[in-house]
Amino acid sequence: MNRKVKAALAAAWPAAAAAALAFAVLPRADAAEPKDKPHDKPLQTTERIAFEPAYAEIKSGKWTGKRLPDGQPDVEGHWSNTVANHNNWTDPQGGIPGDPNPPRRALPPRDGRAPSRVTDPADGQVPFQPWAKAAQEDFLKNFHNPTEPRYIEPLARCAPAGVPKSFIWHGYEIRQYPGYVLFLFNSGTRIIHLDNKPHLPANIKLWNADSRGRWEGNTLVVDVTNSNGKALFGRTGEFASENAHITERYIFANDGKAYNYVATFDDPTVYTRKWTATIPNKRRTEGDAIDGWHYEVALNHDDKGRRVIERDERICTENNIGFGHVAVTPAKK
Amino acid sequence: MIKTLLPKSLLPKWTVLACALAIAGQALAAPVGSIPRAANGKPDFSGIWEAHGAADHDLEPHAARKDAPPGPGIVEGGQIPYLPAALVQKQKNFANREKDDPRLKGWTLGVPRGVYYPEPFQVFQRRRDITIVHQFGHSVRTIHTDGTPHPGGDRNQFWLGDSRGRWDGDTLVVDVKDFNDETWLDRAGNFHSEELHVVERWKYVDPNTIEYRATLEDPQVFSRPWTIAVLLHRHREKNFQLIEDYRFTLDYDEHYPPKPPAGAAPAGGSTTAQPAGGQP
Repeated sequence: MNRKVKAALAAAWPAAAAAALAFAVLPRADAAEPKDKPHDKPLQTTERIAFEPAYAEIKSGKWTGKRLPDGQPDVEGHWSNTVANHNNWTDPQGGIPGDPNPPRRALPPRDGRAPSRVTDPADGQVPFQPWAKAAQEDFLKNFHNPTEPRYIEPLARCAPAGVPKSFIWHGYEIRQYPGYVLFLFNSGTRIIHLDNKPHLPANIKLWNADSRGRWEGNTLVVDVTNSNGKALFGRTGEFASENAHITERYIFANDGKAYNYVATFDDPTVYTRKWTATIPNKRRTEGDAIDGWHYEVALNHDDKGRRVIERDERICTENNIGFGHVAVTPAKK
Repeated sequence: MIKTLLPKSLLPKWTVLACALAIAGQALAAPVGSIPRAANGKPDFSGIWEAHGAADHDLEPHAARKDAPPGPGIVEGGQIPYLPAALVQKQKNFANREKDDPRLKGWTLGVPRGVYYPEPFQVFQRRRDITIVHQFGHSVRTIHTDGTPHPGGDRNQFWLGDSRGRWDGDTLVVDVKDFNDETWLDRAGNFHSEELHVVERWKYVDPNTIEYRATLEDPQVFSRPWTIAVLLHRHREKNFQLIEDYRFTLDYDEHYPPKPPAGAAPAGGSTTAQPAGGQP
């Protein structure tokens, strides 16, 4: 399949097709190794995406794991969330309310599904002001049959998934450098500056916001401002405004296998109080099966025949022709 | 030469040395050892870079026109060696450039255009790869420097091509292929097919300047390989950083996020409430 179309499919599933495709993956034509490569095993593949129902706490504290030469904890590699995609922010495994094509299998009861990503307040709900709650509900009511541009989720038009949705939209890669942590998401890129430079001027608003980070033991603490607030958190329509101040804590387990994303949202334009989101994440390694969602990588070999895991470019072609279409550029004249 | 001008006895040794270094410095542009280097001794291109000049307006020499400043061009030998049919297409592209340039849609610029396009890009370097984040579109390109080959197979249709680099002394040589044919080379409609093959050479000329050369071949479009060269300048302004430029979202981003009802004062005293009269 054309890479461009494939990328577009991945980034912009139409709602109706998403229900059917939600747990399918796109086929890979190159599952077999080219003949001129060393004869070792191809990467395992799986037809299904495995989501986990539970969260495990990771304590903030010392970092005793591997370090990079510049002293940063070494968290480079491929990661993904473990619980669910962006269908539903507060009931992550509950599907999209009002879905005209719900999953064939009945959902387990609420306490049999993963808990809300909202971990404070205890009721698991975003503490919206009344107007904001009404706006979120209005988006959700119109999501499946959008009649206005504002009911089309921006991600479906190739906009970056932003903060925090990027963490629940496909797997992603972390690369680290002196002074920087780089997040390469399926839709969007974040450059976390570790050098204490001031934030951008307040009137500059960005899909991926502006991030200043520092390491505290096993925790990367990131101060996030300058968000344009446009990305929405999920298909259920939760949102922040451009005035949001987000404090992220990426708390890494010392075995390097997992981290929890714990983010506090402060936004007096939209909420009645500060609230906290938690998203558990797992490292994906060569031993994991690629699945076209959590872990979208390919196998290559270096000049000594050693296996190398690679990530291809992620470029979503604009598809501003309404929700339900994938990006296809016009036929050549 | 100095020796022929002055008797040796009048010239202290340190003067000879200093003159020799000054001359060598001019010839080589950078005394060996002064450029940033990575732990493995290779040149370290980390930083934020940008080309000057009118190359993105037109790679070829051109006088001023309404939509472009004049420029001497960056093509060695002046003209791009198009095949006859491709030249016709190029001329069509030029005529329609105000609506057909993919840049206008905010799409990824491709290779090499992203390098001489007049917006900064940031280089992040590790031993195994070099990551380039372009401000325009926030496109991310990985140049693999770990001895891996182009994978081929179905990994063959990339906006930025597939980049495999190796070190030739202090020069990074990057072989780029497996492109799609969606990108242009400049605003003048210069273009390529999926068979584009680019060989780039990245080399410091001093600690804040990179000489970038690229040889392009494409048997569908050009009659022979041709080469461009530009200098890339390091951004050294205090606190300079990339500011993402996802301009393809500008046509629809006004619809997000939901806004408080008109006239409602945001709780907590927002600093961005609209002034009386609102937006035009």
